[in-house]
Amino acid sequence: MTLVTQHKELRDDVLDGLQLSTRLDRIWRTPSGLIGALTSVDHKVIGRRYILTAFVFLFLGGALALLMRVQLAGAEKHVLSADLYNQVFTMHGSTMMFLFAVPVMEAFAVYLVPLMVGTRNIAFPRLNAFSYWMFLFGGCFLWISFIFNVGPDVGWFAYVPLSNLQFTPSKRADVWAQMITFTEVAALAVAVEIVVTVFKLRAPGMTLDRIPIFVWSMLVTSFLVMFAMPSIMIASTSLILDRLVNTHFFDPAAGGHVLLWQHLFWFFGHPEVYIIFLPATGMASMILATFARRPVIGYPVIVLSLIATGFLSFGLWVHHMFVTGLPQLGAALFTANSMLIAVPSGLQIFCWLATLWDGRPVYRTPLLFVLGFIVVFVIGGLSGVMVASVPIDTQVHDTYFVVAHFHYVLIGGAVFPLIGAVYYWFPKISGRMLSERLGRWNFWLAFVGFNVAFFPMHFLGLMGMPRRVYTYIPDMGWDRLNLLSSCGAALFAVSFILLIANVVVSARRGALAGDNPWDASTLEWATTSPPPSYNFDRIPAVDHRDPLWSDTESIRVVAGLSAERREVLLTSLAEADPQVREASPEPSIWPLLTALATTVFFIGSIFTPWAVLWGTPPMAVALIGWFWPTGSREDEE
Amino acid sequence: MSTPEQNSKLLYWAGVALGPAAWATNLQGVYVITHFACHNTASSSLVIGTILILVALAGSLLSARAVYRGAGSEWADARGGGPRTFMAWLGVGSGMLFALVIANQLIAASMVNSCLR
Repeated sequence: MTLVTQHKELRDDVLDGLQLSTRLDRIWRTPSGLIGALTSVDHKVIGRRYILTAFVFLFLGGALALLMRVQLAGAEKHVLSADLYNQVFTMHGSTMMFLFAVPVMEAFAVYLVPLMVGTRNIAFPRLNAFSYWMFLFGGCFLWISFIFNVGPDVGWFAYVPLSNLQFTPSKRADVWAQMITFTEVAALAVAVEIVVTVFKLRAPGMTLDRIPIFVWSMLVTSFLVMFAMPSIMIASTSLILDRLVNTHFFDPAAGGHVLLWQHLFWFFGHPEVYIIFLPATGMASMILATFARRPVIGYPVIVLSLIATGFLSFGLWVHHMFVTGLPQLGAALFTANSMLIAVPSGLQIFCWLATLWDGRPVYRTPLLFVLGFIVVFVIGGLSGVMVASVPIDTQVHDTYFVVAHFHYVLIGGAVFPLIGAVYYWFPKISGRMLSERLGRWNFWLAFVGFNVAFFPMHFLGLMGMPRRVYTYIPDMGWDRLNLLSSCGAALFAVSFILLIANVVVSARRGALAGDNPWDASTLEWATTSPPPSYNFDRIPAVDHRDPLWSDTESIRVVAGLSAERREVLLTSLAEADPQVREASPEPSIWPLLTALATTVFFIGSIFTPWAVLWGTPPMAVALIGWFWPTGSREDEE
Repeated sequence: MSTPEQNSKLLYWAGVALGPAAWATNLQGVYVITHFACHNTASSSLVIGTILILVALAGSLLSARAVYRGAGSEWADARGGGPRTFMAWLGVGSGMLFALVIANQLIAASMVNSCLR
């Protein structure tokens, strides 16, 4: 396939082999050195940073979890004070939800989606860079505040009136609220990039029914992000305004309403669960197909399940509020909705089991983690159906039963497939294989440790142990189960130490991976490991849902893109027919400067409303610099 | 059937369009008629809900018909490359999904006195 060329510009249809790759590398390579690192707009560079940063936050959040487990291992321990315990569980929840779970899924998408759809960079690469810096600065802001004893202590949900000025007069609640703004701006930016990349940058021939399932899952997730996250941004901004300039959004004495907070928070908070879970199901589908040695069964069913889950996830939020005194009829409606969403999730699980049943499974580490995910997630789903029922929820609300349930759903539903994804895509990202032996140890330690840590919490909850208590008296009889749970947590932590060791050692001394070590079917495996700066010598032309498993000897390619400047190919939405050649932005320092200006504005505005006045001009200057025509080739068209 | 003109007559997109449209209409409709329902007839929201369930299901049926008549063998074909058929399958599921969601709201409407809302 050759694109029509109208200018006398050097194009890739007259170049070949080393000549072409050398020229493309010169155009697309991120400059070396500090300036290069700060200006990079390569989705792979930013994706790697995003993944690494999110995992650092995972380990920090995990360390806090261990602290809590040490504190609760026995009755009346004094490892943590009550005040510090409040900060620790808030930091744990906030870090895991806002700085790890959502960002890490988007990070994998930033790295993988452009490769999977066969393009050279993500849409809006500078926005992508801006997103990463905002995420990094927001995370650092939260953790530096914690180090200086200003860490939030109001729970990851920051309910009012606890978080209003009367009950939290320090800046702790403001730190939480503004961290939300940072991370949600970052998440929204990535969501927009993913949607546009999937809709307009797919390789020719990648029709809607040939999009890899992980890409579908990220597309649905991105729409969830765009509809859910504004709600929490409105909530957190309103909270800051209440605290800073007495706007009374959540003050009943002045006509506000405390339940408004819960509605706004959970309208975001429940889709958030699926924002974390859906990408993980996409990862599971990819890994299952590769190691079952056959295409996943029920592709249209899985895609429809993803869409249905995404839609239904917006109709469940009230099941987090069953004990707030809402009318029973409303509660019953949300119970029905909560159970309804089990249907699409169940459909996906049946498709995966059928794929395994009909395939020739090869039980390598990534598949083990996916199998672990199915087992753990089904247990979490079953306890989810239990707490979706008003009478049961009323009994176990705010007990350790709920803690057990959501850890089964979130760790089972997201972390297990995510670690499987690390084992699966590490060879592509680094060019080297992770150790299979260490991987198997990693899996079994994680699986056993996780269940020993969290299964006893069901019983603790049923015995009446409430959440968020920093200690308990010996007479309650919770000691042994808590000790067992803490031992499981330690085992679970060891599994992550093994993962780190495996990554560090294998990155240096692991076996060379080659282009496609798993004999997988999707386009990211059609290029070298790690991929070159330009991803593909020529844009692939797709004629099969599993292009690397099709009967053809080699993948057809598209020729005619520029060999003198950064250029990507835009295609039509449904049929992925080639439409337009589009310039792709070059490296720039402005996303970093804009993020810095925004950071000053955000942090300043929790201290004084005047920050709106003096904080916006630097942002305006940075944005003007960002969009100022430079006469470079990207501005010509 | 294979030409674009013939494909367009199959209304493969009907389920994708009619399902959400029916749900959106129902959601807005029950808010709009609350006052009317209380003072005139308590069954108006039930009638609207039932009609809109049928609309959503009609979308499913039209999409199913498109699958049946013009589908080819995409359901069993792992190659892909038939986005219209794919869209038709999504339409079948989408119409059913939104019919279920409207039914959920309908049940709620049938259980509560309109004047108490």
